[in-house]
Amino acid sequence: MLIDCPHCGPRDLAEFSYQGDATRTRPDPASTDTQAWLDYVYNRPNPAGRHREYWQHTGGCRAHLVVERDTLTHEIHAVAPVRGNAKSGDAA
Amino acid sequence: MVERASPLGSDFRPGSYGDFANGAEVTILELDRAGIVEATAWPGQEKALCEALAGACNLRLSAGSGNGAANREGVCAFNIGPGRFLVSGPRETLAGQLESAVPDTIGTVTDLSHGRTVLGIEGPKAEWVLAKLFALDFASAAFPVHSGCATAHHEIAVQIQRRGEKRFELYVSRSFARSFANTLRRAAEDVGYTIK
Amino acid sequence: MSPRRTSAGGSIDRTRTIRFTFDGEAHTGHAGDTLASALLANGVSLVGRSFKYHRPRGVFSAGVDEPNALVTILREGVREPNIPATQIELHDGLRAESQNRFPSLAWDFGALNQLGGRLLGAGFYYKTFMGPVAGPLKGTRFWMMCEHVIRRAAGLGRADYEADPSRYEHMNAFCDVLVVGGGIAGLMAAEAAAKAGKRVILAEQEKQTGGFARWSGETIDAKPADAWAAEITARLSALDNVRLLTRTAVWGYYDGNTLAALERVNDHVARTPKGHPRQRHWTIRAGTVVLATGALERPIVFPGNDCPGVMLAGAVRRYAGEFGVLPGEKTVLFTNNDSAYQAAAAIRRAGGHVAAIVDVRKQIGDEATALATEAGVVPLTGHAIVGTKGGKALSGAVVQAFDADTGRLSGEARPIDCDSLAVSGGWQPVIHLASQAGGKPVWDAEKQAFLPPEPTQRWIGAGAFLGETGSVEALASGRNAGLKSADKRPSRAKLPETAPSALDLTPAPVLEIRGKGKAFVDFQHDVTADDVRLAHREGFVSVEHLKRYTTLGMATDQGKTSNVPGLAIMAAARGIEIPQAGTTRFRPPFSPVAIGALAAERYGDLKPERLTPLHDWHEEHGAEMTPAGLWHRPLAYAGAGETVEQAYIREASAVRRSVGLVDVSTLGKIAVKGPDAATFLDRVYTNTFSTLKVGKARYGLMLREDGLVFDDGTTWRLGETDFLMTTTTANAGPVMQHLEYCLDILWPDLKVHLTSVTDQWAGAAIAGPKARAVLERCVTGTAVDNDALPFMGIVHGEIDGAPVMICRLSFSGELAYEVYCGAGHGVHVWEALLEAGEPFGITPYGMEALGALRIEKGHVTGAEIDGRTTARDLYLDGMLSKKKSFIGSGLMDRPALIDRNRLRLVGVVSLDGQPLGGGAHLVESGNRDEPGDSIGHVTGYCYSPALEKYIGLALVKGGKTRHGTRAFLSDPLRKRFGQVEIVSHHFFDPDGERMHG
Ligand SMILES: [Zn+2]
Repeated sequence: MLIDCPHCGPRDLAEFSYQGDATRTRPDPASTDTQAWLDYVYNRPNPAGRHREYWQHTGGCRAHLVVERDTLTHEIHAVAPVRGNAKSGDAA
Repeated sequence: MVERASPLGSDFRPGSYGDFANGAEVTILELDRAGIVEATAWPGQEKALCEALAGACNLRLSAGSGNGAANREGVCAFNIGPGRFLVSGPRETLAGQLESAVPDTIGTVTDLSHGRTVLGIEGPKAEWVLAKLFALDFASAAFPVHSGCATAHHEIAVQIQRRGEKRFELYVSRSFARSFANTLRRAAEDVGYTIK
Repeated sequence: MSPRRTSAGGSIDRTRTIRFTFDGEAHTGHAGDTLASALLANGVSLVGRSFKYHRPRGVFSAGVDEPNALVTILREGVREPNIPATQIELHDGLRAESQNRFPSLAWDFGALNQLGGRLLGAGFYYKTFMGPVAGPLKGTRFWMMCEHVIRRAAGLGRADYEADPSRYEHMNAFCDVLVVGGGIAGLMAAEAAAKAGKRVILAEQEKQTGGFARWSGETIDAKPADAWAAEITARLSALDNVRLLTRTAVWGYYDGNTLAALERVNDHVARTPKGHPRQRHWTIRAGTVVLATGALERPIVFPGNDCPGVMLAGAVRRYAGEFGVLPGEKTVLFTNNDSAYQAAAAIRRAGGHVAAIVDVRKQIGDEATALATEAGVVPLTGHAIVGTKGGKALSGAVVQAFDADTGRLSGEARPIDCDSLAVSGGWQPVIHLASQAGGKPVWDAEKQAFLPPEPTQRWIGAGAFLGETGSVEALASGRNAGLKSADKRPSRAKLPETAPSALDLTPAPVLEIRGKGKAFVDFQHDVTADDVRLAHREGFVSVEHLKRYTTLGMATDQGKTSNVPGLAIMAAARGIEIPQAGTTRFRPPFSPVAIGALAAERYGDLKPERLTPLHDWHEEHGAEMTPAGLWHRPLAYAGAGETVEQAYIREASAVRRSVGLVDVSTLGKIAVKGPDAATFLDRVYTNTFSTLKVGKARYGLMLREDGLVFDDGTTWRLGETDFLMTTTTANAGPVMQHLEYCLDILWPDLKVHLTSVTDQWAGAAIAGPKARAVLERCVTGTAVDNDALPFMGIVHGEIDGAPVMICRLSFSGELAYEVYCGAGHGVHVWEALLEAGEPFGITPYGMEALGALRIEKGHVTGAEIDGRTTARDLYLDGMLSKKKSFIGSGLMDRPALIDRNRLRLVGVVSLDGQPLGGGAHLVESGNRDEPGDSIGHVTGYCYSPALEKYIGLALVKGGKTRHGTRAFLSDPLRKRFGQVEIVSHHFFDPDGERMHG
């Protein structure tokens, strides 16, 4: 499998590490709503089909990416940097 | 000035190795880079960082993924991540020089002069040998001279810059350098190699 | 002259004689032979024994589809089993052995299994090895003994116990177009794509390109087809943008048009040249793939069809055409299509004798009739083979009238004298890779074959792969596929000329002749037609279940000859059509791949070694090294006659008494820089760093989001916006990833940069009452007294000319400093410290002493921070800031995490003077045999030189509340049981007077 890193171009899957579900949002840091924290840390929808995931290009530019992937076919529909400047220079 | 010890050990010594009956087709060497520095721009400051680095080192460096440059004094730089460049050169003072050239409004500079070992591989079979270790397209159309990238050989992170049609420079973390050099040497045995 | 070798013809080099042995017997062949062709040429028909029944087996095919002729190769001191003789290129000194026979191939005890054939039917193992549930053997282990015997009897080749000394390597390749298959279609495709300027890789699994053209005897562009193929191959080789890979089987088609291939670089020579690999594993990323993988012939299943001498008709044609070998003196052909007629003619042309052509069809066309005439026989149409004669070699075939429409046999069965029987059941396109790429094969009722699925990845089919059978079609579809792969339209330019064939290769829908005797579907796994029907009767109607229950198609040949007949039999049993019975999804590998080829350069210890700048010094000074993750660290510097335990006790005592020096270069080090660095640290650490003064360090604790402890370490403030974080050795990577995640995803607004500087610095901790005195003797450019360098203070200076950074902090509980210098100066500074410490008897110490010193002090490491402990469990709750939120603060106070009865940190002291054991459980009962429930476990232990006892740290239910109580250490694996006292984990100098002194 190849992931097309927005910074580095297509690279082998072995260079990336999975960093979890990209659809969850972290509660406000000061929140004392335990259920909200439990949902954030433990509960996952695990959809069959399109899913948004975080992947880090650990064996490359080290940027975190949002990968939209089909969990049934492994097809990757989109890869975007989490931060706006993954295409360095273009943002400038 | 205290001399810097090489991490490669006594086995890494000049000579010809592997199947060199028909002439060694690559040369492997440890490059002496007294200054190795990582410089990183804040978001939106990528161009400014390039200009600062280019100005300080007399390089024709432009922002953008994988871009790189080198000058006649032996200073070279290439992009290794979003807004991130690896700069190296023959002088130990490089880190200090870049720290003054890059104000903290543009980005940060970190000295890696002791932390990276630079291996050179050169020769008609350099691409062949590197292709064994990295899932990268080394053809010059895909990987032009001066351009660079960050990649990995299993656990070992490696940054690579192409310095000539048949010449590449590999930056590895010092602690992995001996292991990686051995892997590189083994990969070059079928084409025969010379250590300089 | 070999008995079966023709006097002329074929592409072997008759001037070169090759010597080889089979089962120790010397034979000769010619350059260009395979082991199979050479054995056949020598009249060797029996080459192996079958998997379950030990039936004699001979060569069945001429290529990658071989199910029977598996041999073991003895090469360079290693035995490699289960290699098809059809794929072994003959070379001088080749040593091959037959398999699964005892004591010899001809006289095999295991053949007695045939008598028990009924017992060993489908699902035998499943039915047998459940253990007797009734009868006299109930409750015994009798079945396990049976299993032992049967497992030894069943099977194929025997693997070696020795390590494989062969060398393998990986290669990555990128191309615009990968052409799989070097037959005429593949060659045309490669040339068309290459001419259009594409980067092309052509992979051919055999030793040379040409495929069918090499032995077909056809003519292309007025040249013999093999000469034409050689010419186009030479043109391709001359192109810079084409890489020709022969002996390279593409065996896997993965996501993202990534394909795996195995190049057998040196298997065809007796000895791999020095520095070269035996095999090379290619990972090829292709823009477009052209699948020109051809077709494989299928057999017809009939009783006795596994007798040595029965062979595929196309194989007979190939042996005659390519190798000049006739598999017998009198050959009978049995077919449901016209391709056997080509084989018959080829036998005749090579000087052989055709005894009969038996065709299940009632009528045949003119061209087939003409070929029969050329072969010198009148075909027996409307007939079938219903049995064979002979044991270790075929001596005859039994023929009977047959109605292809009803499947009924009639009339008298009569024998035909023959020693070779060539069978054709039609052709099946090699669609394995297309299936692996995704998509379901399509059954074509007209062609009686599975055709490729609609592509789900970027591939284009060509040639016989598409179900086309003629060379005219292959040349055209090959060129078109090449053009299409280069985004070009089909060309109308003239194609190479070849005579179109009027033969009808569409088979009659007959794949099995039912009669008396075992009729094999899967030769390699000994699965018979009756086994398939038995599976059906027992309810295994799904193809996938059928495969697993009978093991049909699951042997090393992956059912290349058996899948379609097996499906046909299953469909017939169910009274449905083949597509309703289903297809099977092909999985990699297409052909067997050595594990070594996948491991490639990851030989030996597999992992790279990470060495500190002081590594060579440690080894030169007698250190026993120990792995710590990828790192190698000194365990202890045992002198002559000293054990490791004696050495670490000496080393640790020296630290407490005077001064010691330890390499701490492996600690993770991360530069944290930027205007928001302090804010960032406040969020990732449980305690506060924004209040830390420049030039000072602070111990920090990190939690995970779930509230459990993640890592600990000191972080040094080198400048207002410049911090140096240290992590534990083991967690350096995970902490870096965690911090990057926080910055990229949680707080992208923070201006902070992270750089791993672990390798930039060599670190030495100097510890002991004399540590300061040593520094005073060697450090220049800064004072190191208590004012200049207070506890947790940082100074910059030089040691013997090398710049250093010194932080006063202690892991041992002694007055201690961490001295950091550039990694390249590590040995220089280390030796200067040793020299300065000489008057004090400075002692280098290793991990064991380091561990003993920290246990005495009750400092936690990875053994206690095991991913299950909270800060409270470790009595580090004082570090949990109440003034701010931080990673983990949201969940750290969950009820289960603050339960009083959790496992919490304590010290334990051995009361019987014996060592404790890491991981040993603590129990309350003093009964060694009935120790009861665990109340906790030991996380680390040592002999404490300071206390002169065996002590340890433990995680125990209730923690502190048990101080002063007694418990028992229960460690049955190490046969250890003894009493301990539970005490505070601060064994030594609990008030820390020594390190502050
Ligand atoms: Zn990347």
